Amino acid sequence: MDNYRFKYFFKKRIQILFGFLIILLFIPLLKIFYLQIIQFERFTALSKNNSIKIIPLPPKRGVILDRNNVILADNKLVHSLEIDRAFFSALPEIKVRLKNKLNIDVDVDVDNKKTSYLYENSVPISFSLTDKQIANFVAHQYLFPKLSIKQRFIRDYPQGRSSAHLIGFINRINDEDINFLDKENLTNRYLGSTHIGKSGIEKFYENLIHGSPGFKEIEVDAKQNVIRTLQEKKPIPGKAINLTIDYRLQKIAEKAFGEKKGALVAIDPKNSEVLAYVSQPTFNPALFTNGISHAAWSNLNDKNSRTMLDRTVAGVYPPGSTLKPFVALAALTNDIRKPPFSIFDIGYFTMPRSSKVFRDWKRGGHGTVDIIKAIAVSCDTFFYGLGLELGIPNLNKVLDDFNFGKKTGIDIGGEKSGLIANKAWKKKKFNESWYAGETAITAIGQGFTLVTPLQLANATAKLANPSLSIKPHLLLSIDRIKQDKEEVKQDKQSYSDKNLNWIKIGMVNVTKEGGTAAFLGKKSNYQMASKTGTAQLFGLKIGEEYNEVTLPDNLKDHALFITYAPANDPKIVIAVIVENGGHGGSVAGPIAKKVLDAYLKNKKL
Amino acid sequence: MIKVLQKYKKRIDNHLLTITFFIIFLGLVTLSGSNLDTLNIIVNQVVNIFVGLIIFTILVFTNPRILFSYAPALFLITIFLLILVHFFGVESNGARRWLAFGFFNLQPSELMKITLPLMIAWLYQQYQNKITLWLHFTAIILISIPVYLVLLQPDLGTSIMIALSGFLIIFLAGISWRLILSSMFVAILSSPLIWINLHVYQKNRIINMLDPFVDPLGAGYHTIQSMIAIGSGGSFGKGWGEGSQTNLNFLPEANTDFIFAVYSEEFGFFGVVIIFALFLLLIFRIFILANNMQSTFSKLLTVSLGVSIFSAIFVNIAMISGLVPIVGLPLPFMSYGGTSMVVSLASIGIIMSLNNHKTLIAN
Repeated sequence: MDNYRFKYFFKKRIQILFGFLIILLFIPLLKIFYLQIIQFERFTALSKNNSIKIIPLPPKRGVILDRNNVILADNKLVHSLEIDRAFFSALPEIKVRLKNKLNIDVDVDVDNKKTSYLYENSVPISFSLTDKQIANFVAHQYLFPKLSIKQRFIRDYPQGRSSAHLIGFINRINDEDINFLDKENLTNRYLGSTHIGKSGIEKFYENLIHGSPGFKEIEVDAKQNVIRTLQEKKPIPGKAINLTIDYRLQKIAEKAFGEKKGALVAIDPKNSEVLAYVSQPTFNPALFTNGISHAAWSNLNDKNSRTMLDRTVAGVYPPGSTLKPFVALAALTNDIRKPPFSIFDIGYFTMPRSSKVFRDWKRGGHGTVDIIKAIAVSCDTFFYGLGLELGIPNLNKVLDDFNFGKKTGIDIGGEKSGLIANKAWKKKKFNESWYAGETAITAIGQGFTLVTPLQLANATAKLANPSLSIKPHLLLSIDRIKQDKEEVKQDKQSYSDKNLNWIKIGMVNVTKEGGTAAFLGKKSNYQMASKTGTAQLFGLKIGEEYNEVTLPDNLKDHALFITYAPANDPKIVIAVIVENGGHGGSVAGPIAKKVLDAYLKNKKL
Repeated sequence: MIKVLQKYKKRIDNHLLTITFFIIFLGLVTLSGSNLDTLNIIVNQVVNIFVGLIIFTILVFTNPRILFSYAPALFLITIFLLILVHFFGVESNGARRWLAFGFFNLQPSELMKITLPLMIAWLYQQYQNKITLWLHFTAIILISIPVYLVLLQPDLGTSIMIALSGFLIIFLAGISWRLILSSMFVAILSSPLIWINLHVYQKNRIINMLDPFVDPLGAGYHTIQSMIAIGSGGSFGKGWGEGSQTNLNFLPEANTDFIFAVYSEEFGFFGVVIIFALFLLLIFRIFILANNMQSTFSKLLTVSLGVSIFSAIFVNIAMISGLVPIVGLPLPFMSYGGTSMVVSLASIGIIMSLNNHKTLIAN
């Protein structure tokens, strides 16, 4: 190849080469065009995702106070041990090492991977570390690179076991809660939160107490170091709520109950504010905050004590003789048994056109009894006949007026409606017809009728103040702002003052000489209107609306007591039930009296 | 003094130098926008550029005949060094690539990128009147030896680059199209064989290139972060110094191998088009100079050096945009680092020296 030819040849080859290089360079150019122009949005998002993190700031839960600002539920700052959510699956192994090396217990359910998964990057695994545990952990931090110590507010219940059913408890957000929040579109309000109200006021007013989370938008570098805060919105803390409860009364009532099981409800008859709300036995709500152990849980649900049952609204009991004032009012309203009508009680009642006999609680009877005395001495004989003449429909109408057999609509969950039985109900339930005898025993509160302590207190409040038209309620104020009372629309028959007065006299006489709770009145400096009750258990157990007639003999009667005082200017109404307590006057009465004394001590009488 | 400068000016190709300086300038601009220890880096890079320019100046005044006459010796020495690597090389990450000389580490395979083209160019110059199939065959043998030695290290990337620089000269020296096509055919047929003999890490690199999102925090991490940097730049970029991928450390090696991603993030597609145009102009100018040279040796060596620069640019950009696996390769004239800058400027210096002595090598 000579030089000239080579040059020509070479020129052609570098032209080809240059063309090839241009084409070659177009490949990355096209790729970059694709990345920068076509996929721009995607990569912008990815870029922001890389460097911008949004951290939810959970709100502080609102405090729960009684009407005098006694703290029932509060928050305290604790040191918690937390794990990066990404490493949650390593928890079982970490749990064992924590226990062995540092003797720190992990209080989350390690199998429940979903717990709090949604809500935070850092999952607390152990709350309330002691100073010693913290020091110990810090010294051994290198063994646990995925764990860190943080500060967190956790719920605190300064009253301990007291009033647990009322206050309720909170627990870790679980799958069910997550589904619920999703459905209600509330997920955003729970970003960063770990707990949610599960019972009592904590649950009912979750919406108010929870608050709204804030967030912090931060820029981080590749090592997740925070470079700067781009924006921050402070969380809105939950609202502080005052309950209508007077915690002093709670305390006194709980003390008066001692080891006994039962419930007490106190209501202000002027406005239906619930002053005391006691269910015994009680539990420690703090147990639930971080997930309760299986053993503790089954202990609380022990069949005999049934600690978790909120007896005030979910315990249904036969009212026994405490129903009598209402039955009497029904009779008077229907113009039967009006004074001076009286009977001579010889200790039993014989069913008309039958040989069937119903006994009075007092052998030998009460002698001459009018309706006032019938209430005061709780004369069964009087009421058997009254019931038969009055009939179930007329009786039920009045019971319905006094809100028996339906929920009161109080602002707490789990309320049961109790039962007012009638022909149709029995037919439907047992496919049996109604017997006249059942009417007779219904009139002394021993039929199918079931009431909750709250219903009993609520009905008594209406007896004390017939114009009362407000639902019983627990919420007094939100952030110190008084709440409007919720009026109940009623279409009630009116009860004449005269009739009501007779009932009142009967109830006042209960604590007077000859009454079933005469001893209570002896040392009282105010007049009270009361009724004792002893519910014979013939198969209806608490929490169940019906049970077979196979009652263990050793089960004692329930003791009941309703009262309001002062009789002429009622300031407080109380209903007490002591399970298996025996006679109402002697067991339930003193409990009510202590609460009355405490409440009325500082009031002008 | 003025005389010296005038003499210097005469020996310089202004077009090529302007384009080069422009690219270097853009590199400095990009470096200074990052907040990663900027001052230190800029000072060091300016020093690198000065050292590069000194070498450049020395080469501009050097007679290319020296280069020509020492070509076979240089080639043999490099081959010898490659063999030494095989026995005494420093092992790192399962590969022996470096010879440790106490104060510095030498990578003979990098030297081979220059000495092989020199050798092949020398070969065709020497036998330019007797270019036959046998000469091509000899050239292929000469290429295969270093390629094989580098493959043994193992260093697939560098051996491919060396092979390409050698074959490029054969192509320019006039091998027939028929031969080119048939050898390409053989290469394609043997590609499964190559795959089988690849190391696991090499296979992983290729897999990750095909889909970096398979392992976003592992092997694919660098590619993804680089693609995010480029993609989020958009049409006109985030602005100088505003690259979040860079400044928040998401982008690895932002100052060195990945500087093009930084540039793309901050100046967008608009900036990319400008730099592509500059790169093409650079190569174009080098080809023009080669075309105007007289001797076969000069022509072949110039184009070879130009294509070397181009290959480095291409591989770096293809790697950063996720087209080829991540291989540690800096972007000529722009990446922070002394070696790359000195070698790139030296290549330009050699080209200018060849250009000055168009006829010095007798035909």
